[in-house]
Amino acid sequence: MNSQHTDAMALPAPALARSSSFGGPIVKIIIGIFLLLVLVQALYVVQAQPGELITGVHGMANLISRSLPPNVSNLQSQLWPALETVDIGIFGTFFAVLLAVPLAILAARNTTPARPAYVFARGLIAICRSVPDLVWALLFVTAVGLGPFAGALALMIHSIGMLGRLTAEVIEDMDMGPMEALASTGAGRLQVFSHAVVPTVLPSMLGIALFRLDENIRASLVLGFVGAGGIGFQLLTAMNLFDYPTVSTLLVMTFIIVMGAERMSAWLRRRIA
Amino acid sequence: MQIEAKNLGMRYATGRLALQSASFTVSAGEFAVILGANGSGKSTMMRIIAGITKPTEGAVRLAGQDITTLTGRDLAKARMGLGMVFQHANLVKRRSVIANVVCGTLGRHRSLATSLGILPKGEFGHAMQCLERVGLTKFAHQRASTLSGGQAQRASIARALAQRPHALLADEPIASLDPEASEEVMRLLRQLAKDEGMAVLAVLHQPELARRYADRLLGLRKGVIAFADAPANVSDDEIDSLYEGFHPA
Repeated sequence: MNSQHTDAMALPAPALARSSSFGGPIVKIIIGIFLLLVLVQALYVVQAQPGELITGVHGMANLISRSLPPNVSNLQSQLWPALETVDIGIFGTFFAVLLAVPLAILAARNTTPARPAYVFARGLIAICRSVPDLVWALLFVTAVGLGPFAGALALMIHSIGMLGRLTAEVIEDMDMGPMEALASTGAGRLQVFSHAVVPTVLPSMLGIALFRLDENIRASLVLGFVGAGGIGFQLLTAMNLFDYPTVSTLLVMTFIIVMGAERMSAWLRRRIA
Repeated sequence: MQIEAKNLGMRYATGRLALQSASFTVSAGEFAVILGANGSGKSTMMRIIAGITKPTEGAVRLAGQDITTLTGRDLAKARMGLGMVFQHANLVKRRSVIANVVCGTLGRHRSLATSLGILPKGEFGHAMQCLERVGLTKFAHQRASTLSGGQAQRASIARALAQRPHALLADEPIASLDPEASEEVMRLLRQLAKDEGMAVLAVLHQPELARRYADRLLGLRKGVIAFADAPANVSDDEIDSLYEGFHPA
């Protein structure tokens, strides 16, 4: 407990040292010019034309007026895809957690059984993370066909990357004392893990998973655009048919789902902490 | 059970000689304390006796069995007879005190259920007795994070007792405690030696406390045992000589 206290006290010192090494005025000017150049090239590359936006505003207004009032006559048939969207997120998150935990144990320097396992786990996590969920969805659509299952699988694989990495970091940051103490009483590897590591990292892990659930529900909306089921697919269809009143209904439903998921996730996370 | 170290020698791969023909015995019911400056070989000695490091020479006998020749399961089994107390209590802070103590018995309950995080139900009674030994029964169902430093260290001793050890090893058990809690822990270690007939061996940085509570003082100087005698027979000069030429930063 004492050492943790002194560690916390020692923190500001290196941070100060770092900022003061950023010193010289010439260095500051060079950094300033560099940042400006980066911004200018970004404006050029995205072909930013604010004039277009201003003159085109009536087009947007026209679109909005055509989508009002929202068409609620098909509400009942749209509830199922809405449920699908939420469930794709739940499925993806749940099974991602299930698979990410063992992967994180291998990918944490202090719990990995061997160096090759560490490299393997880190590599797998990197692959899951670096391939976007949309690409995973396209891949799974070709494998299991159009529908929510492809989306759920895509979210699961992509989430394993983020969950595995963050969970591994939580495990690496934990106090090793309880692990060593339990090992010294003659407890086995798995027992040490389930009785010392799990209770210590569980709250952080649940927090990460809930955060991911919120993100996945939002992501599953977009996945519908590539045919992976849910409300996104309905949205795409309605837009292709220029059925704007239905589009606006679906957007309101989307808003409710996203807000609801975010509020619920935040509330649950607060309960855990 | 007694702890017997015979002719222990330890030469690291770097060529540094950390221990040289160190022999001593801690008998059942005895509380012995190792004193010595940093780098005198105290930690090396403790690690060898705990079976964590193998000595380059000599033997460690626990209840007559030489643990330096054991590996794997046999070593794990022999180590179960040895309770360990560390500088920090090392409790799982989010669990209850009693759950932490029951964890000390996991070694004898290797099953699928305990591997999945379930505590052996039958051990709660025994764990409660261990808590009673250290005077913490009324804290049993509190979270371990609510204990003070001294209480946490006593709970960690209860966890070591739950293991049903024949001997206790304590590596600087009071280094991070205030004076009052230090006295409590020292009194407890001495009592455990007397009441349970355990051999208790501790490494300490406080000669004064060691003198008051230990049955025997073991002085280590540069890897050699300088003295091993009852506190009454060890002079202050002898103790001071352990720290000669050593200037704490």
